Amino acid sequence: MNPPPPFLRCRGLTKTYQKGPNRVTPLQSLDLEVAPGEFLALMGPSGSGKTTLLHCIAGIDHPSSGELWVGDSNLAALDRAQLTRWRARYCGYVFQLYHLVPILSAFENVELPLLLTKGLRRTERRERVRAALARVGLADRAHHRPAELSGGQEQRVALARAIVTDPELLVADEPTGDLDREAARQVLDLLHELARDNGKTVIMVTHDPRAAAEADRCLHLEKGRLLEANIPAEVAR
Amino acid sequence: MRSLRNLAILAGKQALRHRTRSVLTALGVAVGLFLFSTIETLQAALREATEASEEDNTLVVYRENRFCPSTSRLPQSYLDGIRAIPGVADAIPVQIAVNHCGASLDVIAFRGVPGDDLRRYNPDLTVVSGSYEAWRERPDAALVGAHFAARRGLEPGDFFAAVGLRVFVAGIVTSPHPQDENVAYVHLPFLQESTTLGVGTVTQFNVRVDDPEELDAVAARIDGRFGDGSAPTVTRPEKAFFAQTARDMVEMIAFTRWLGLGAVVGVIGLLANALLLAARSRRRECALLQTIGFPRRAVALLVLGEGLYLGMAGGALGILGSFAFLAWRRFTFGNEGLTLAFQPDPSVALAGMGVAMVLALVASLWPALEAARGSLVRSLRDG
Ligand SMILES: Nc1ncnc2c1ncn2[C@@H]1O[C@H](COP(=O)(O)OP(=O)(O)OP(=O)(O)O)[C@@H](O)[C@H]1O
Ligand SMILES: [Mg+2]
Repeated sequence: MNPPPPFLRCRGLTKTYQKGPNRVTPLQSLDLEVAPGEFLALMGPSGSGKTTLLHCIAGIDHPSSGELWVGDSNLAALDRAQLTRWRARYCGYVFQLYHLVPILSAFENVELPLLLTKGLRRTERRERVRAALARVGLADRAHHRPAELSGGQEQRVALARAIVTDPELLVADEPTGDLDREAARQVLDLLHELARDNGKTVIMVTHDPRAAAEADRCLHLEKGRLLEANIPAEVAR
Repeated sequence: MRSLRNLAILAGKQALRHRTRSVLTALGVAVGLFLFSTIETLQAALREATEASEEDNTLVVYRENRFCPSTSRLPQSYLDGIRAIPGVADAIPVQIAVNHCGASLDVIAFRGVPGDDLRRYNPDLTVVSGSYEAWRERPDAALVGAHFAARRGLEPGDFFAAVGLRVFVAGIVTSPHPQDENVAYVHLPFLQESTTLGVGTVTQFNVRVDDPEELDAVAARIDGRFGDGSAPTVTRPEKAFFAQTARDMVEMIAFTRWLGLGAVVGVIGLLANALLLAARSRRRECALLQTIGFPRRAVALLVLGEGLYLGMAGGALGILGSFAFLAWRRFTFGNEGLTLAFQPDPSVALAGMGVAMVLALVASLWPALEAARGSLVRSLRDG
């Protein structure tokens, strides 16, 4: 039986930043394949380029060279406007610091990605927002502003915002970094479910080996390259 | 279309929920538009009083080289001569008494006219309370212009004293001519007797011509007829007369236009500054919106929309404030016995709102660009 074709494929992905005379190369000729519906964890020391890689995969940043395919799209070849449209359809991004809009309620924050969706009626839109909030267990907090929510709740709102468009790819940058164990647990369970039950491809950066152990596979980013990581069984459970 | 509406709603939330900032900004805009609208009202009143139009058919015959009602003296006996001049439809002798001969914000002007002639000469006068007959019956009666009456709180049956006269209010009149609304019509003999002039002398003649095209020709004929006498005349169209005798006032009011312009520039600066600060403090938010699929155009539109709301809210507030202020104070700017009433004018309100919106758009242009520009990654990383 042949393995399914990868959903995400990088070949020789390189990202360099030029800062004055200094050249930083967080990603150096990186190869990566992720299967559809896979839940992948990325680990690595601070400054190793994890966020940079996620930005490229999510179409927020442009690789300096190399190939980057997600689904049928060659992200390296899209311009800024095309990337924006691509993100709107195919990718949900969960930031480490939630990035909720403070003046908007949880409901309105989750609604944001749908506001510009063509042909979506208001009733349908609200239905989808309610469903996403219910999915992350926050149906009863819809009308709270971010300042009125706990960190774990804020992160779940951010997750709801990322999944409300039903994207095929979900990218999360240290989604549990600022959360206590219980809150982290809930977020991880959700990500797990999304991959297992809904066939979403989930890529998560984490510093926490226990969180990484939830994933189907864990990779280590070091000096711009990826290494297979082995998580000791006792950590995993 | 639906997207645009959603953006408009989102921009509205931004404006409403950053409440303190929005209120302060709108108040700043309101101050500017208050000034602008007040000044435009002055300008509109001035235009109305001085700019000649096609239908103008009234001439004012004045004593040559005199500029104040108390010094312009003409024999009332000119009346028959004037009426006999070809092209003259009607003429009325007028004695004017004012409390101030210079420029003043609270001018009281009496026009003494023959009781038999007023209605015929000026059929546009409408008595809105009291009655014309009551005026005819009493020698000390006055028909008071509506604006004048409102300013002084006068009603039919009241007495009031000014310029050394004590008169009985017989009626309140309105008229399409702003001048009529700012004066009190009294009986000519009453006014002549009460002042030092005595019977037989008037300040001016108002003359209506048959054909507006003939205005200048008739004026020349009148001055030709009386030019050589001991009381030579100078005859001008009513509006030119106003523009001429009230030259100082006209220049002063024309100058305020610069203040209006200054207010407008100030509003642009204020709005642009507020929006720029907002756009900068929300850089991460703008990047986030783009990350979740907002095109740059949409982000720019959000800022424009917010600016437009602030401009419109401030504009409406300022214009309403200005109108309330003008209605409350009922300023009558006068000079040499001619008056300009500053009354709220819907066309000024409309122009004011238009100006507010254009200002808002101009002011938000740069902030909008700034919000939509720049690297997503950098904005997300350091906000
Ligand atoms: N805009 C930029 N200009 C220059 N250098 C940058 C820029 N963005 C990131 N870098 C550098 O790229 C490297 C990788 O950064 P990145 O944020 O991807 O690391 P990270 O693995 O996510 O680290 P952390 O675990 O601390 O979040 C760092 O050395 C960083 O300084
Ligand atoms: Mg990072």
